[in-house]
Amino acid sequence: MAVTTAASWSVEVVYRGIFQKRLANRISRGVVLGARKDGKVGTAFARYGDSPERNGIPSKNFAVVATDEVELEASLAKYEPENVDVSIVVDDTMCKGIESWAWYGIQPINKLVVPGGALVVTSDKEPDALLEHIKVKPYPYTLVVVPSPVHAGVFAPEGSASFAGLWVDNDDNTDFNCVAAVAKFAPQILTLESVLDIVRERTNESARVAAVQATYEQIKMRAVLPGEGSTVEYEEYTKPGWTQMREGIIVEAMKVGTRNPIYKKWSTRTRRPLVNFDTCIKCTQCWLQCPDECFEVTPEGTYEVVYEACIGCSVCAEVCPVPDCITMVNELSFENNDNLYPQYASDPDAYRELLTRHGIPLHPELIEKAKKTQPVHHQPAAVAGGED
Amino acid sequence: MAIATPEPQQLVDLSSIKTVKQVPYTEYFVSGHRTCQGCESALVMRYIAKAAGPRTVVLGSTGCMYVANTSYYTTPWVVPWMHTQLGSAGSAALGAAAGLKVLMRKGKLADEPINVIAFCGDGGGADMGLSAISAALTHAEYRFLIVLYDNESYANTDIQLSGSTPYGAVTTFSPSGKKRRLMHKRWKKNTPGALVAGHPDAAYIATADAAYGVDFMNKVRKGLASGGPSFIHVLDPCPKGWHYDPQYSHEMGKLAVETGVWSLWEMENHEVRLNGTTKQIAAGRFSRKPVREYLSKQGRFAHFAEEDYEYFQKRVDEQWSSWLIPGVVSFRLEAGTPLNL
Amino acid sequence: MAIAVRRETAAAPLKPLEGEEELLLTGSEAIAHALRLADVDIVAAYPIRPYDAVMQAVAAMIANGQMDCEYIVAEGEHSQFEIVKHASAVGARSFVGSSGVGWFYAFEAIAVTAGLRLPVVANVGNRALDDPGAFGVEHNDALAVRDLGWLMTWVETGQEAFDSAVIAYKVAEDPRVSLPCAVSTDGAFLTHSQHLVKIPPKRIVDQFLPAYNLGDRLFHPDNPITIAPQVDQDWLTEIRKQNDAAMRRAPEVIREAYREYHQLTGRQKEPFIEEYMTDDADYVFVGQGTIAMPGRVIVRRLREQGHKVGFARLKWFRPFPADEVVQRLSRFKGLGIIDRNYSFGSPNYGGVLFTEFRAAFYDSPRRPIMVDFIAGLGGREVTAENGLEMFQILQAGAAGDLDSNVHWIGVRE
Repeated sequence: MAVTTAASWSVEVVYRGIFQKRLANRISRGVVLGARKDGKVGTAFARYGDSPERNGIPSKNFAVVATDEVELEASLAKYEPENVDVSIVVDDTMCKGIESWAWYGIQPINKLVVPGGALVVTSDKEPDALLEHIKVKPYPYTLVVVPSPVHAGVFAPEGSASFAGLWVDNDDNTDFNCVAAVAKFAPQILTLESVLDIVRERTNESARVAAVQATYEQIKMRAVLPGEGSTVEYEEYTKPGWTQMREGIIVEAMKVGTRNPIYKKWSTRTRRPLVNFDTCIKCTQCWLQCPDECFEVTPEGTYEVVYEACIGCSVCAEVCPVPDCITMVNELSFENNDNLYPQYASDPDAYRELLTRHGIPLHPELIEKAKKTQPVHHQPAAVAGGED
Repeated sequence: MAIATPEPQQLVDLSSIKTVKQVPYTEYFVSGHRTCQGCESALVMRYIAKAAGPRTVVLGSTGCMYVANTSYYTTPWVVPWMHTQLGSAGSAALGAAAGLKVLMRKGKLADEPINVIAFCGDGGGADMGLSAISAALTHAEYRFLIVLYDNESYANTDIQLSGSTPYGAVTTFSPSGKKRRLMHKRWKKNTPGALVAGHPDAAYIATADAAYGVDFMNKVRKGLASGGPSFIHVLDPCPKGWHYDPQYSHEMGKLAVETGVWSLWEMENHEVRLNGTTKQIAAGRFSRKPVREYLSKQGRFAHFAEEDYEYFQKRVDEQWSSWLIPGVVSFRLEAGTPLNL
Repeated sequence: MAIAVRRETAAAPLKPLEGEEELLLTGSEAIAHALRLADVDIVAAYPIRPYDAVMQAVAAMIANGQMDCEYIVAEGEHSQFEIVKHASAVGARSFVGSSGVGWFYAFEAIAVTAGLRLPVVANVGNRALDDPGAFGVEHNDALAVRDLGWLMTWVETGQEAFDSAVIAYKVAEDPRVSLPCAVSTDGAFLTHSQHLVKIPPKRIVDQFLPAYNLGDRLFHPDNPITIAPQVDQDWLTEIRKQNDAAMRRAPEVIREAYREYHQLTGRQKEPFIEEYMTDDADYVFVGQGTIAMPGRVIVRRLREQGHKVGFARLKWFRPFPADEVVQRLSRFKGLGIIDRNYSFGSPNYGGVLFTEFRAAFYDSPRRPIMVDFIAGLGGREVTAENGLEMFQILQAGAAGDLDSNVHWIGVRE
């Protein structure tokens, strides 16, 4: 359809660094190349501050489409657009908010979405379920949900969205489906016909073209009213001026017994480890092998996860010698990042029920022996600086 | 200035960690660093800080352990930390140690043992900064530790090959393509072997592996306690560069040693000994796993053909059958040459 | 106002300081004496001509027990400069140096030392850059770092080399500045020529130079800091601004230091520009370093022929004393700027001093004619004949008769 007024549109792709790098690239380029078929011009770029990308750490890619070069120029020589018409999120756990390289503090996933814009999320969850995690906006926008592919990816447990990535390329149309979602919400950016043309050109497979068309029909669009969503507060961070910054490029060191207060890395994870405190044998391996220093000793000498710091790498689950003592479960099932040992301590049955709900066998036969093991570490005194 | 005999050094009390139970609980490298899921290099930093303790200053050369850890304008370090240049781990360690020593000698600074640790990656250390490390290891009069964390690439620049990248591995400078299956055909150089063979005044030189954390932490302490210039080359698997799911980071570290690709050894008091599984392999008590078991789990070797696996296995076999000291000294000795065993 | 150069003659000897000794020293040796008296803690050396004479002199002093400092022979200039940078960070007063391409081999370290605000003092024994190899003096080695935040001074005599090395520590280490300082000595003419140098007693230097104190920037286990974390576009402008502010504070710190040094020793009254026979001059030649010596000979020869000429020697290149330059030199008909350097492709293809002077004068209501003389490259001597030629060109310039205002002097066609 012809657009006679000069305009430009920005699309961002928010993705898990490295894992979804190829996917994100294809989506943003797909938007530009598809729009080109409709006679528009465009640019695609990754956010420089996210580079080098790190496994799992949220990163951004952008596509800007315009009716002409003059319109496009306003979006060039920038690190990122001020706001976007469409934000595409290719891992639904990021709906809880993200911190990536270039921002400070966890920010809402829909931070850049304009009034009347869209947040597109690849997910097998219902839009309402996702909205529980997505921050409220003071104006309306649309939540668009692209359904998960029929065959879930290798790293996509519990049927969550595709993880076409660096070493596993699921090649499951998620890229095309996301571009199709843009076409469905905003055909003025690019049309479905153009998207299907791109699929045809790239793959030469009519089955794929049909599949993308079919998914297009299944894409859900949910109008979100002002005030609908999560009311969780996000951090504000003000940057100091040159007269306040210390001379000699110096920042204060971290204090013993604390974690970096301005970088809470939890938004890097898709899954979190759940610990079965009943069967833990206090071998210390999870604590020892965690590259992010996420474990703390409990009063019983077992180890719990500090979820504010945990990035879901799953090394702990792999090294734990006790069956099902540490299990990775989908992050979206959890409301916040509170440590879970206090829950276990105050209501162990409720905690065991939580494990069971996630399909984790409790192994009652291992409990007695576990309870007899001796603690290795003791909780340090409240004052910072204690070695055990 | 050159001194004929080293002065008596102030030794730091860094006792040996006998079991996992004795690993100190306190962290001197804390959560909140922008490293990949499963980053074993970060684990190495954590172990260094944990083993060395609070009377330490760390000099970090450019690389993942600089950029990822301190992005942006922040830090995960509890102990004082200073950036140094890509090829400067050796010169930074030397400058800091010499500066502290002379200030203490002249009474301008309180006299006490201070751990000086400089780290570098394989790119910055084994390539660019090798000459600086070599020079540093000739200075018997200064006490410092240089740790080279080897993730087998220039990782921070999005994975390019270095002199420590294994044969055939895919990196952005050695992609596998239609015309050339293997662009990187250089065999990984043996940096710790080169250093231990050529620096008789180095007080302690060792290899380590992030998967053997207690061994590594003990080596950090031994290096610092040796009273002179010391060096540890630690292998740390990198899920981004080696292309595997981060959850297997610990397993990768173990497989490197169990296949004999990487050897654990140390030189202490001018004596070399093999450690742990490496020692057991050499003694015939542990059968080396086929290298395929290690390589096939990493996407950076996904393009390997049979002949590539065979070649790799052959070269690793040679490390064990032909090298004068397995994993340490890479040549044979002419038959009949007397050896001071 | 022109300040007469303080020259000692047999008829009017200057009153010596008690405990002062007069020695016949090369410029390099003079600097070594300054380091000795400044109680430098660590020196990193690497051989390259002609600066390394200073390192040889330091080695001899240490071996003879005259100096107590760590002396590390590095395996390359990059390491050499990194060693002292880190020694400086832990609080050790450091000295380093190089020449020509050796200085360039250390470029990365040179850049970051300024970025880190570490007050290392370096002697650059100015030498032509390769290729081809040549040992004679050109200033491009030191000049190449002029944008990075190093303080830069050019000295003329052995005496000034001594004095400036001591002053360099005072200025560099001042907390208002805290920037590294390059003291440049012309290869051969100063690095290797012997002059009479008065060395003050230690108590004078002790009075003048406080201890090196980094305060809360000291790199030490008792001080919980991280130095130089990675940054992005959100931080760098502010960090550069801090460096800019430090450099802006430097001129006043320099003036203070010279005032105090002059009080203590009777020398170095003039911090920025040393004028010779400029009181009634129409034309003034300008240069830095030892070019002032043939420069003044040229002035006297031209004066003998009845021409009113003078010479102004620039002592500090960074911070560039633009206010002083304009104030004191705008009254002349013409300035003949002698550049012992080149800047290929620059505006008018002029040398570095020429370009800087013109920038300094741009806003001045009174701008003398400026002619650039590229001269003395590779250590070629500048002669009285060259001087006459330069003067004639300068005169033509003032008369508006010049096609070009950049002239290469003494070139064989």
